[in-house]
Formats: sequence, structure tokens, C-alpha cells
Amino acid sequence: MRLVNCDDEAARLGLRQGQGLAEARAICPNVIVIDEDQAADHRLLEGLADWCDRYTPLVALEGRNGLFLDITGCAHLMGGEAALLEDILRRLGQMGFEVRGAVSSSPGLSWAICHYGGNCIVSDEDREEMLAPLPVAALRLDQNTVAALHKLGLKRVADLMRTPRAPLARRFGTEVLLRLDQARGDDEEPVSPRRPVASLSAERRLADPIQSEEDILFVTRQIAQCLLSGLQARGAGGRLFELVLFRVDGQVSRISAGASRPLRDMDRITALFTERLAGLQDHLDAGFGYEILRLNVLHHEPFENVQSDLAATDHKQLSLSTFVDQVSARLGPDCLQTYQLRESHIPERAETFVSAIEALPLDKQMPRALQVVSRSERPIRLFRMPEPLESFAAEIPDGPPTRFRWRRLTHQVARAERPERLSPEWWLDDKQAATRDYFRLESTAGYRFWVYREGLYDRDPTQRWFIHGLFA
Amino acid sequence: MAGKAVAQETVFALRETIARMEGKDIRAFDGSDDRADNIAALRDKRERLSFGIDVLDQALEGGLPLDGLTEIRTSAMKDASAASGFVLAVSALLQNPKEKLHELTVCGLPILWIADRLAVLEAGMPYALGIADFGLKPQAFLHARPRRLEDALWLAEAAAASGAFSMTVLEVCGNLKHFGLTESRRLSLRAKASGRPLFVLRQAGEEEASSADFRFLVETAPAANRYLTDGTVLGGSIGHSVFRLTLERSRNPAPFSLLLEWNSHDRRLSRVHAPAKSVPAVRPSAHSGPDFSALVDRSGVAAKLGTRLAFDRAS
Repeated sequence: MRLVNCDDEAARLGLRQGQGLAEARAICPNVIVIDEDQAADHRLLEGLADWCDRYTPLVALEGRNGLFLDITGCAHLMGGEAALLEDILRRLGQMGFEVRGAVSSSPGLSWAICHYGGNCIVSDEDREEMLAPLPVAALRLDQNTVAALHKLGLKRVADLMRTPRAPLARRFGTEVLLRLDQARGDDEEPVSPRRPVASLSAERRLADPIQSEEDILFVTRQIAQCLLSGLQARGAGGRLFELVLFRVDGQVSRISAGASRPLRDMDRITALFTERLAGLQDHLDAGFGYEILRLNVLHHEPFENVQSDLAATDHKQLSLSTFVDQVSARLGPDCLQTYQLRESHIPERAETFVSAIEALPLDKQMPRALQVVSRSERPIRLFRMPEPLESFAAEIPDGPPTRFRWRRLTHQVARAERPERLSPEWWLDDKQAATRDYFRLESTAGYRFWVYREGLYDRDPTQRWFIHGLFA
Repeated sequence: MAGKAVAQETVFALRETIARMEGKDIRAFDGSDDRADNIAALRDKRERLSFGIDVLDQALEGGLPLDGLTEIRTSAMKDASAASGFVLAVSALLQNPKEKLHELTVCGLPILWIADRLAVLEAGMPYALGIADFGLKPQAFLHARPRRLEDALWLAEAAAASGAFSMTVLEVCGNLKHFGLTESRRLSLRAKASGRPLFVLRQAGEEEASSADFRFLVETAPAANRYLTDGTVLGGSIGHSVFRLTLERSRNPAPFSLLLEWNSHDRRLSRVHAPAKSVPAVRPSAHSGPDFSALVDRSGVAAKLGTRLAFDRAS
């Protein structure tokens, strides 16, 4: 067992990274050792990244213990870069983290200064000066390269800067020069954010944290009003909204709610979240309250300004879409479904379920061509999985059963209609799929079933019967 | 004296309000006043679905009220498909305007089918092609399978209140503990307020107290025969679906039961007086030739048929 990392106090005592645990215990018998849990560390880092969303939407994870924040255009909101850096460091420090931070115009330089310098802001003019005295390890190079550079006496970044580039590249590959250029800002290095950036977002910071559902909805309504002008300017309405709740203790909750048609109206946006919060019930733990609320529009679509006609048909559509939104927000988008027909003669493949939120308005789907004429009547209720039934007697080779048992009841068949032979779809099915002969049966008591026999009698004389649906 | 009269008037007014809320006949309270006509007019304004079958419409006081709760029950799960068929038939009547139904406000609106998980496992889901054959538009058919009963009740209530559906069906299995009189009353009031019909389809359930206006028991019955164009019965055929409908709960105390046949092409329910007798299929042989097979040993040659046109020349 080896030490993965140690704090300042331990470092002062002479413990270091990579040291054996026994050796560390020998140096300091009462050392407190905690098992490494990378997954938990990662979760913590992600939690911090979520928390940092309050400063900028562009937050990226860096390695195992770092975060990149792209604060382009965000710093003035917090009173300048210095104030922003100070605010981050102070708040995270209060939470009990040891944090170092730097602001510069390139991610590479910020990284170098964080790890080998102090907390400071580097302006574009003194980039080189700040970078020059740092060790070469500050360039994010792997250990072997650093060791090799050390052997050659290139210990500081300044040494690398003075060395001709061509021999360096020949000896160490382009990696060293790339990192050097990135740190100097000569080469662009993109920061890829963890989350997609919302197309529109508005937030409210509260002096006094709020806890109750009514307060949250009240503030949400106000924020939704702020979004209105942005949506109007784009001629759009939001289809997918996300409410981000920043809790006082740093935990961040995200609640998203979709709408069946583009929305702008703050009352309807609030109604979405009313249902969503009601659906969440106790899963949302307000703790000591939320201090920042943000409403993001994750997906927007053109908003159609429809002039209502005199028959008020779109009024009906509106109430249906309001209802669909309400249900989808509360019980999830998959709860309410409608049918979509598909071109297939296999009964269970001829229909699929689509969630109603995607299918609105209802008459837009369904191509006309699906009107297949040459088929027999279909049952009104269909089993997801055909249920096997026990047939006592059937006409050989192609006839219907005359008596069968299904769900422990024996039915005597009084009437039977046609075998309708459905072949498997060879372009989808494998060779195991068998031909089915469907029959409509009526028992003497008047129950009507849709049963089929699997396989052809010539090839497989064992008769396997299934019930697939029920007629009215 | 005047004070007493005013008090009496107030009591009458309150009773009337209560009666209206409960959907009772209000004329009984206040027949002497000229307000009675007023009230009767209000009562007649209540939208009703007429089945076009006199006996049934009379028993339902003019048709199935469209602003209330109706319960449909089956005594065993095996009747589930018949009950579903009856509900779908009613919704097809509601959804597709006929001339006489033109004034109904619910025409053309979609249907919502809220199904209990257990009912879906037992009787399957409504099948899109099947309900299209049955006379409904599958694209205007929404269905929901909520996980819990509370969600299902909330969904039914919200659907009835939204007024977006021509009919809301709540399918449950058996008599549930958490779906009692209180819940059914709540649903009934909600349906009344919004003027939309709400059907509770109780599969394999017992009769229980509810605030539904009417309760039907649906059982299956042998289907009608198919007829050929010359009027003869096509043997072994299964024609239009037939249900046995028993009115279990209504203001009319007389027990009442009849057989109904659903014609999905005409979208019409009609009364059947006697269950169809199944006619065995007459199976004609596959070949249309002579009934007797040709002799195997060819000892006798079948006489040639037809007219001989020319003889061989004699010389």
C-alpha cells in the first residue's frame, strides 16, 4: 500500500506521494490513512463543477483534481476577474477545500500557475515573465519527458523557451512544443464543457435562501418572465426547460420539464414545474434552502403565432397540449402514449407506441397508405406476449382447434373463421421465426379469441398454439 | 310571517342546489312555481348520448348523460374484452358525429384510456388496428399506464377537468381499497363540472357503492351470423360482436337486460332479441368437379357429355 496523496502537515513531517504505508507509519505512527476511492473523488469533483455553474456555464473537468472555468464574458457579472477569483476561493475555502486558482488567457498557463505558482491573475503582457521561472513539469508533460529534460539540464520553462525548437521536436516529439505553445497562448486549446450550453438562460440570486415549493415556483415565474424577451427576440418558444437549483451547502439539483409545443407564457412554464415538483414529492431535499435559481431553455423551436379561427379548433388543441404537458411533467413523458402504425403485417409490429408529447398535434402522423385491405378483422385487445394454450383436438393439417384450455378454463369451440397465414418477415427475422396461421374462434359461451398455430404441419407435426388477442 | 316565508324560500333554494349537484330530478321539490320550467329546461340541456334503442334510452332517461360518471362492470376477467368492446362502441358513437348527434360538443375529440397494469397483463392493451376495425380512429386514442392507483386517479381527474377528451376511461381490476365512494364522488363531481363523460371500467369486480349515475354489467354473448347477399347465413362465420348489457344501477328500479349488437361499419348499436344460433359450416369440397372420384381401375369409362356436332364420314 502506498500513499496516493498527503496534506501539508504530513508533507512537513516528511511523508510524500508514492511512499509505502509502512514507511509512513514508521515516520509518524499516528498518521490517519483513508482508502482511496476514485469514484467518490470523481463524484465530488463533478459536484464542485455543478456548483461552479453559478459563475459560468462552461465548466470542464481537468484530470482528477482540477476544473477549468471559461469565464469569457462572465467576469463582469461578479465584479471583475479579481473579485470572481477571490469569491470562488473564499467560498470553496469555507466549505473546507484547499483550493488554488489562477486567471489567465490560456488554460495551460492557468494550470501551470495554479500548480506551481500562487493565486493570481496574469495579464496578457506578463505571460512570458510568469511562465519563465516555473519548472518544466508545469507544462503538463508526462514524468518520463520531465526526467529526460532534467537530465539535459532543462529545468525551467525559461530554458525551453531559449532552446531552438527544431532539435527539441526531433528529440522529444511535438508534445513538448505543443504544451509550451499552449501555455504561452500561441496555440488554441479548447475547453470542452461538461454540459451542453443552454440556448437561453436567466437566473436569480437570492439574499435569503428559499425552501418552500411555493417560493420556488414564485421565483420561477419571475425568471420565466425574464426569458420572455429573449424568446421573443428569437421568435422561438422553449420545448425543454431546466430549472437549476443551487442549494446553500453547494448541492445542485436540476429539474427538467418538456412541453408538447413551444412555450413562452410564464404561467404555462410555471405550471410545468408545478407538476414536476409535485411529481418529485420528497425526492427534492431543500435542506437549508436554495440561494440561486436558474431557468435554462435547453431546446427551443420556432414559435408559431397562430391567429385563432372562429370555430376555436386550436383552443381544443391547446387544452390537449396543456394536459399532455401537465401529465408528462408529473408522471414522466412516457406515461401518456398514443399509437403509430407501421407497415408490417406481423400484428405486434404493426403498431408502436409514441409518447404523446412528441405526437402532438394528433392528426399529423398516420400516412394514408397503411390501409391494408386484404386482411381479416383484428382483435380489440392484443397481448404483448402471445400466451400458449393447450389444444386437445384440432383438425389436421390446417384446421382450427375444437377444444382448448387457456388460463385453466376449457373452451369448446363453436365457430371458427379462416386460417389467415402470416409469414415471418425474412428481412428482419432470423430462421427460427415460424409461419403463423391465425384463426378467429368463438367458444360455445360466446367468448371470441384470436389464436394462431406456429409452424407448418408438414415440417413440424407438433401443434403449438398461442392466443394473441381478444375480440369484443 | 314574512320571516318564515323567506326562511322557507332559502331552504328550497338550498335543496335545489343540492339536488342539482347530485343530478336528481328537481321538479319534485318545487312543482308549483314557474321556476319549475326553468329548471326542467336546465335539466334537458344536459347533454345525453342517445343509443337509438327506445327501451335503453327510456331506461337511461333519454340517453347516457355526458357529464357524469358511468360505471361498467364485468363479473369475471373473461368478460373483459366484451366490456372493452362496449366502452369502445360508446366512444365510437361519441367520437364520430352522426346527423342527430351534431350538437354534441365532444365530437372529434380524442379518447383517453387509463389502464391498470394488472388489467393490461390480464386482457392486453387496446390494439391499434383492432380499434380501427372497430370503428375508432387510432390516432385520436391516447392511453396511459400509470404505475400507481393514485396516479391513475389523478390522471382521470385531470383529464376530465381539462375538457380535452371526448371520453375518459379508467380501467381498474377488482374492487380496490383506495378507490371507494369518496374517490368516485370526486371524479363524478369533476366530470359534472367540466361536462365530459368519465367511464370507470371495473374488470372482475363486485357491485359496490359509487356515485356513478348508471352502472352496467356487461357479459359476452354469441356473435351474430354473417349473411350472404342472398340472405342466407354463411355457415361457421363470426359476425358482429354481441354483448349482454344489464343495467344494474339507475333511478329506474326495474331490472333491465338486453342484447346489443355492434355494427362497426355503420357505427351503430342495435338490439338483438335472441342470441344467434351458430350454424355449422357447410364445407364444400375443394374441387368443383363431380362428387364421385374417377374409378381407379378404369373398368368403366365415364360417358362423354355434350352434343356431338359432326359424325365421321360414312364413306
